[in-house]
Amino acid sequence: MLKNMRENWRLFKETTRSLSTAEGLAIDDTLPWSVSNLGSPPILHLYTFVPSVIVGKYQDIEAALKLDRCKARGIEYNRRSTGGGTVIMGPDIVALGFGINVDHPGLKSGVGGVFESLSRVLIGALKKVGIKAAFRPKNDLEVHGKKIAGLSAAAESGKALLFHTSLLVDFDVELMIDIMNTPLIKLQDKGYNCFSQRMTTTRWELGRDLPVTEMMNAIQEAFEEYFGIRFVEDAPAPQEQRKIREFIDTRYTQRDWIFSHKHPRARMGIGQIKTKGGLLEIYLSLSGGSIENVVITGDFFSTTENIQRLENALKWTSARREMIEKNLASVWQDDMIYGVDVPTLTTAILKAKENQVRL
Amino acid sequence: MADIKGYNMPDELYYHEEHSWARVDGSRVTVGMTDFFQKEAGDIVFVDLPEEEEEVEQGEVCGKIQSRKWIGKLVAPVSGEIVEINEDLEDDTSLINTDPYGKGWILVIEASDLDSELGNLIHGVDAVTEFIEREIQKAEEEKAKA
Repeated sequence: MLKNMRENWRLFKETTRSLSTAEGLAIDDTLPWSVSNLGSPPILHLYTFVPSVIVGKYQDIEAALKLDRCKARGIEYNRRSTGGGTVIMGPDIVALGFGINVDHPGLKSGVGGVFESLSRVLIGALKKVGIKAAFRPKNDLEVHGKKIAGLSAAAESGKALLFHTSLLVDFDVELMIDIMNTPLIKLQDKGYNCFSQRMTTTRWELGRDLPVTEMMNAIQEAFEEYFGIRFVEDAPAPQEQRKIREFIDTRYTQRDWIFSHKHPRARMGIGQIKTKGGLLEIYLSLSGGSIENVVITGDFFSTTENIQRLENALKWTSARREMIEKNLASVWQDDMIYGVDVPTLTTAILKAKENQVRL
Repeated sequence: MADIKGYNMPDELYYHEEHSWARVDGSRVTVGMTDFFQKEAGDIVFVDLPEEEEEVEQGEVCGKIQSRKWIGKLVAPVSGEIVEINEDLEDDTSLINTDPYGKGWILVIEASDLDSELGNLIHGVDAVTEFIEREIQKAEEEKAKA
């Protein structure tokens, strides 16, 4: 009898207002704490933020953002407890926090497994609204080669895990260009329409105004189907509310947290070389010894999909020559860039690395 | 025998179940992360380390290790004072991936209670094989469920 009973999970769903970064992030940090310390079943938190920008736990916020522009435009900025890069948030972007025990049956084990399970849920949710998405290893969801959601997770509170993602319902490209420092911005200055080539939103895909609440409902149903559970709408209990307050007061309103200096050095470089296939121009963001972002452009012949496959193979990998070559070779196919081979492309990337300057 | 089901797990080391390893040299204990961990986590992009002279307890989380977007725990395999940090990791965290038991070492602890604590760690071919097989089996069982 018990076997056939569906497990009840908790759902914190906020559809009536957008949360401040401090409140939203503090609630999310409380999810794994509750699972681990209070024995709560898994909790899903679906909400939106006020217009804001949030950096990953180990990012240099001063290098990632133009803080004066954020202030001038009234855009909140903060640092989350999970990893990854900068995300723009706002009333048109679904924020998702999920706390679960890392050993929970049904959740694939290991780092890759957890990402895979949760990606499947989100792919299911997008399918419900009519969008065919796929998992792009290791952390992104894409539609026809364009990123629609990024996934990040941190092991927190004993064995419980916090998982964060944002799903783009609509997105303000102009705002992103104004407040973020990325190599893509330099390109935008030159007139390349590189954002629309690399990312998409549910509204752009569907060509209609998809309400955020509809996307939230689809995510909720996809979770229920994938894990075979039922959500019970709930709100933080008094003990959880105290913990949320504590995270707001000791973390998300604290300068020491927001401007933490625990991060790799952020640098950026541009490299150009002439090749048989044409000019190769590389825009490189480095985070310590790793490549945070790379944009391959120039006047060669290739396809957007091939270029993105190459760029993605290098994201968050070592910037050492042998590692760049190995990672490019792992996805390389003949004539991916006409007239260019792996050693030539590697040389162009290393040239950008040589020209690195602090952001 | 160092190779266990495709994972390099040197015999002479002591292992914590959270995948940190300990190399004992008198009371000095060098600490790093296992080959199993680095293969699971993928490219390591940042290591958040404690300061030298900090005291740590066996089993305590004394650092965080970030791969692409995941942040994993560095658990102290023994108690004591941190006396050395691998500064080369500041420029090149991929050493943890390419040479987890050599250049990818993370820190050195001057151990305070080795005699009673070593027994809590996994050591010796049989115990390490059993540990790795258990970890692999866990992953396979979960895969089969999904």
